[in-house]
Amino acid sequence: MSLIRALSKELQARSDESLRALFSARPDLISPGVPDFAALAARASGRVSVQRALERLNRPQMQVLETLHLCTNADTGHSASAAMLKKLINGSSVAAVDRILHSLQELALVNRADPPHGATPAAAKQRHYLPVGSLKDVIGIYPAGLGRSYTELVRLQPAFAQRVVQLVGELHRGGATISPATTPMEAALSLQHWTATPESLQQILATAPDRTAALLARFGNWAMGAVPQAQRRASVLHESADVGPVDWLLARGLLVPLDAAHVELPHSVGVSLRGGYVIENFSLAPPVPRLGHTSAGLRRNAALGAIAETLRLVGEVLYTVREQPLATLRSGGVGVREMKRLADSLRMDVHEAGVLAELCGMAGLLRLDVDSSAWVQPPQLEWLSLPRQEQWLWLVNAWLASERAPSLVGQPVNAAAPGPAGHRGPAGTTINALSAEAQRPDAPVVRKRVLEILRELTLEAAAPDGQAPVLDAAAVLERAEWTQPRMARRFSSLIRGILAEAEMLGLIGSGALSQLGAAIAAEQPDDALGILGEHLPAALQHVLLQADLTAVAPGYLDPELSERLLTMAAAEGQGPATIYRFSVTSVRRALDAGQDAAAMLDFLRQHSATAIPQPLQYLIEDTAARHSRLRVGAAASFIQSEDETALLELLNAPAAAGLGLVRIAPTVVVSHAATRETAQVLRGLGLAPVLEEAASAVVRLRRSTPAPGSGRPVYTAPRTAPPEADIEAQLAVLRANGSRAPGSGAHPPAAPGSEEATQLGLETLLKAIRLRQRVIMNVVDSMGNATRETVVPVAVNGGRVRVFDPDKEMERVLSIHRIIDVEATEELFQ
Amino acid sequence: MNDGPLIVQSDKTILLEVDHELATEARHAIAAFAELERAPEHVHSYRLTPLGLWNARAAGLDAEKVLDTLLTYSRFPVPHSLLIDIEETMSRYGRLRLEKDPQHGLVMRTSDYPVLEEVSRAKKIAPLLGPRIDGETVVVHSSQRGQLKQLLLKLGWPAEDLAGYVDGTPHPIMLNESGWKLRPYQQLAAENFWAGGSGVVVLPCGAGKTLVGAAAMATSSTTTLILVTNTVAARQWKDELLKRTSLTEEEIGEYSGSVKEVRPVTIATYQVLTTKRGGLYPHLELVDGNDWGLIIYDEVHLLPAPIFRMTADLQARRRLGLTATLVREDGREGEVFSLIGPKRYDAPWKDIEAQGYIAPADCVEVRVDLPRDERVAYAMAEDADKYRLCATSETKTRVVEELVAEHAGEQLLVIGQYIDQLDEIGERLGAPVIKGDTSVKERQRLFDAFRAGDVQTLVVSKVANFSIDLPEASVAIQVSGSFGSRQEEAQRLGRLLRPKKDGRSARFYSLVARDTLDQDFAAKRQRFLAEQGYAYRIMDAKDVGTAG
Repeated sequence: MSLIRALSKELQARSDESLRALFSARPDLISPGVPDFAALAARASGRVSVQRALERLNRPQMQVLETLHLCTNADTGHSASAAMLKKLINGSSVAAVDRILHSLQELALVNRADPPHGATPAAAKQRHYLPVGSLKDVIGIYPAGLGRSYTELVRLQPAFAQRVVQLVGELHRGGATISPATTPMEAALSLQHWTATPESLQQILATAPDRTAALLARFGNWAMGAVPQAQRRASVLHESADVGPVDWLLARGLLVPLDAAHVELPHSVGVSLRGGYVIENFSLAPPVPRLGHTSAGLRRNAALGAIAETLRLVGEVLYTVREQPLATLRSGGVGVREMKRLADSLRMDVHEAGVLAELCGMAGLLRLDVDSSAWVQPPQLEWLSLPRQEQWLWLVNAWLASERAPSLVGQPVNAAAPGPAGHRGPAGTTINALSAEAQRPDAPVVRKRVLEILRELTLEAAAPDGQAPVLDAAAVLERAEWTQPRMARRFSSLIRGILAEAEMLGLIGSGALSQLGAAIAAEQPDDALGILGEHLPAALQHVLLQADLTAVAPGYLDPELSERLLTMAAAEGQGPATIYRFSVTSVRRALDAGQDAAAMLDFLRQHSATAIPQPLQYLIEDTAARHSRLRVGAAASFIQSEDETALLELLNAPAAAGLGLVRIAPTVVVSHAATRETAQVLRGLGLAPVLEEAASAVVRLRRSTPAPGSGRPVYTAPRTAPPEADIEAQLAVLRANGSRAPGSGAHPPAAPGSEEATQLGLETLLKAIRLRQRVIMNVVDSMGNATRETVVPVAVNGGRVRVFDPDKEMERVLSIHRIIDVEATEELFQ
Repeated sequence: MNDGPLIVQSDKTILLEVDHELATEARHAIAAFAELERAPEHVHSYRLTPLGLWNARAAGLDAEKVLDTLLTYSRFPVPHSLLIDIEETMSRYGRLRLEKDPQHGLVMRTSDYPVLEEVSRAKKIAPLLGPRIDGETVVVHSSQRGQLKQLLLKLGWPAEDLAGYVDGTPHPIMLNESGWKLRPYQQLAAENFWAGGSGVVVLPCGAGKTLVGAAAMATSSTTTLILVTNTVAARQWKDELLKRTSLTEEEIGEYSGSVKEVRPVTIATYQVLTTKRGGLYPHLELVDGNDWGLIIYDEVHLLPAPIFRMTADLQARRRLGLTATLVREDGREGEVFSLIGPKRYDAPWKDIEAQGYIAPADCVEVRVDLPRDERVAYAMAEDADKYRLCATSETKTRVVEELVAEHAGEQLLVIGQYIDQLDEIGERLGAPVIKGDTSVKERQRLFDAFRAGDVQTLVVSKVANFSIDLPEASVAIQVSGSFGSRQEEAQRLGRLLRPKKDGRSARFYSLVARDTLDQDFAAKRQRFLAEQGYAYRIMDAKDVGTAG
């Protein structure tokens, strides 16, 4: 019976409780909802769904599943029981394996099956299992890191098939205890037999050159390896005394060449190297990392320091961007030069500035203005007016929810896999800040998981009073590899960045998870707010003015105050306190911006804890006195005449009133009107002006349409389970449809085009490929006509099926979407 | 939340709020490892540098203590990266030690094998090392002790020099404490130095560095070489030693351009030692050829490069550096550290001022308006001439006269850069002028007369900048300065900082032409002085004579 149909029956027989558990563990099964159990089973067997389910398995579960996959065969009905698997998993017990198998069955990743033919009555009583059909595709060609068998290699590697008979013959003649063979398949079986037990392999390896063991150890986790010139001709017959390990192994067929640069360690060799086990080390408990400690005081100091610093820097980024928006490159993102400008104004290095800009971007504090293609601060930003702890929470929420990975900024484009394929740049380019390349859709999930792991490890470590465990990337990665081995690769590229960012946000302090971090990891942001509120001092309302022309804000200065100060002084230094230095240039800038000396001094007097030092007063007053010596105004034309009375007359002439004349010197009058117009009016008054060279003035006005505002980010943790209501709704649908044909043994044919039909068709097709049997296909040709064909499918790949047409005796390629349905010929069901 | 007086910044500066009740306590705690950078009236700023941290390590302070101090006194959380950086930096000092081995002579030992591997592979260091004795020890050519230390510092692995010193030829020297006593801080400085072996004592101008030298000589009681900046300073050292110690005229020799005497205590000028003839330094033998037990470097911050080179060869002799500031305009602080030694004593100016040993100074900037014709001339002048034009304005001469009149009866100096201007002022005031071409003898006579009160006003050019004792000068008027060098400013002020008999505060005027380059340079000067903690006022030239 089809595995999918078997699963469908099994699912229907489950209790509601068990289905609920299944749906929470594999939410994609009911999203979107499925009409009945057949469809549910089809989806659960689908490649994508299985892949997602595998990502959630922990290491022992994966190990049991891979072992089960290796020692079963759905086509022959060869199932396996816990007792059988236990023999292949070193360090396991039947009870443990059975429990795991049961849990996998609950997840619909394995099915109960009949015991294989010829099982002893005792064995037949045990529960037997088969893995779900698409597991093979999802696990890949090296389950448990073991290679393929010799027979399979002979079948798939023509070069090896050609050589293998000769190789076995040479071995036999060379004195090895291997039976000679005449066909490749026989030779493969001989090799398989020769290397079948750990003892026999030990014997073979006893004469191996040095370094062979070390070389083989490198195939411990993965059966394929790269060697130069993998297809060299190595033979045992003319082997020199100082033969290298690779030649030695190739000559004995212990490594099989795949192509010019790769070799594979065959299955039987791999298993024998692992002492006859498929899994060498099995443990139900996660590894416990050895962690250092830091004091709670240091941790708090570091976390709070980082928060204050980050908030200050974000404020500075916004200030800088308000002064001049961040321009983007045509290819997207902010270029290195622009980042350098930002970094210089923040007095930090480019990488840190990039991370900060990303943080501002993800929090919506910076927005890409579509018209000017520049990052600007949205007007009326609510963030600016919030108390600091809420500003912090805003950033943290935005960070948790963001699908961007700031730490990728500055890294080479190609190293940052897996990015969207369309955004790969040429080699050697690096990822720009705020560009599409730093997008990582899985970032929120990974972040959540990292925080969870940090929390787990911290709780487990149970540090003594006043101490906190120091968690590093290695410890987190090790745990991630245990809890979700299939996800670990994604972790490894992001984890360092995530930890660094968490440190910046004070979730980690001095290497340990801070109280704030623990509260965030436990999804209790209010606790975090409370803790932070206690420790962040209120904004200062005063500065200390000094005779060396500085104003020191001994702490966090009220943002409004700080902004006003920045108009008349330049900020210096980096840290909790800010030093504002007054200089002729800075004061002049304030004067240019329309402030006058009295207002500035008034402002300073108001916000200074001490009297204004005399040198500062002199600086402001002297600069102000010098400031207006040259005056600039706008005029469209001027009238100059040595005859002052003529000008006076002109000023009083009613006809010239429209020109808006202003006398700026005894002999010069300026007009708001253009030169020609002025000249015309003058001519009308009977004066004969000479037109001086006219130049047109272009006034560029800045665009002032406001960019859209920015809302407070709301973080909802990435869902790992669907909402309860959805589960219940789905259950109701399934039970309602299921009750129409309760317990019916016969399956209604799947509706054509349904998910179920597709999965069933695919299952049939794959099975036919494995067994090399015929199927009947309903295919639409390029004219839209449906035809029925009997073919032997050869392979499915990239949306196409390669089929052999026995009538025409030729191979063809069909697109999968052209196939309406696939029907097995009778032989398949035997 | 702590409420300490310190704010530790992530850019490695520490701000100290002076008015805080714990400020004094905190100041003492951090002075050991941080360099005071600026000391304006409310918030002082200190800087953490590798050298400063290593100095602290040399003085026996460990990283834990430093971190603890910062965390205790800091008002806000201390940047974590800074804490790590401090720990890291401090742990580098002393991983390599230079020691005397009874069998192999000078050796370099380490407790950290990879470090020794790293440095012994450095291209420049390899030739200085002899054979490896074992994993942790390597022989050092004893002639290369100084150079090795210098290079190790550059690599960031400063070596602790425990190899000891040669004794030198004994020569009894005693302090002659009749009618005066060594001040407590001078005593402490000398003791710290002696305990450390070699190193630098930092004391403000006028705080009696010479006496620290004398005390060190008395402790050593060996033949001593004193290196000073110029002949006048040499004479002053001699006078002071005669007055304060048991040494007699015959025991003290002067080794300068004019006289070449080698006596048990010899005072030589930097200039004569660095005179080059035919590619050689003919007077180096003075240093090498005698068995000195102690070498004193006056004004270490001015030590010329060739002296560094010869000091590198003198590592087996005790070395005392005296200075008012470790800041060198050429940034060679590292060489002072590795060749002369770590800082052994440092007293902030303000502390010594507060104890009443040096007089507080009152700085006044007088802003002078240029008359119209001078302004026009200034506006049209070439860039190269602009400064001279505004600095030598005639108005300044008039203001000087008014100021001199105001301070009649006080000992007064007029300092300037341009000889013509000084000559003119000297003529108008009827005061003698000391400039480059004034003979040493004449200078000496004039200074003596000034000290005795026979001459009340002296006009001096920049020859007066260094090391000339002018006690009782209570007013100085600077008419022009050389482009606002910080060094020069400290020296000029130093002239006036000698304690006054009646405890009056010294007055330092600088005349500045408004709206010119002069004012820009003055701004730098003003910043420096204010940062040094001097009261700084600005007044208009027209107010001179009305306000005190």
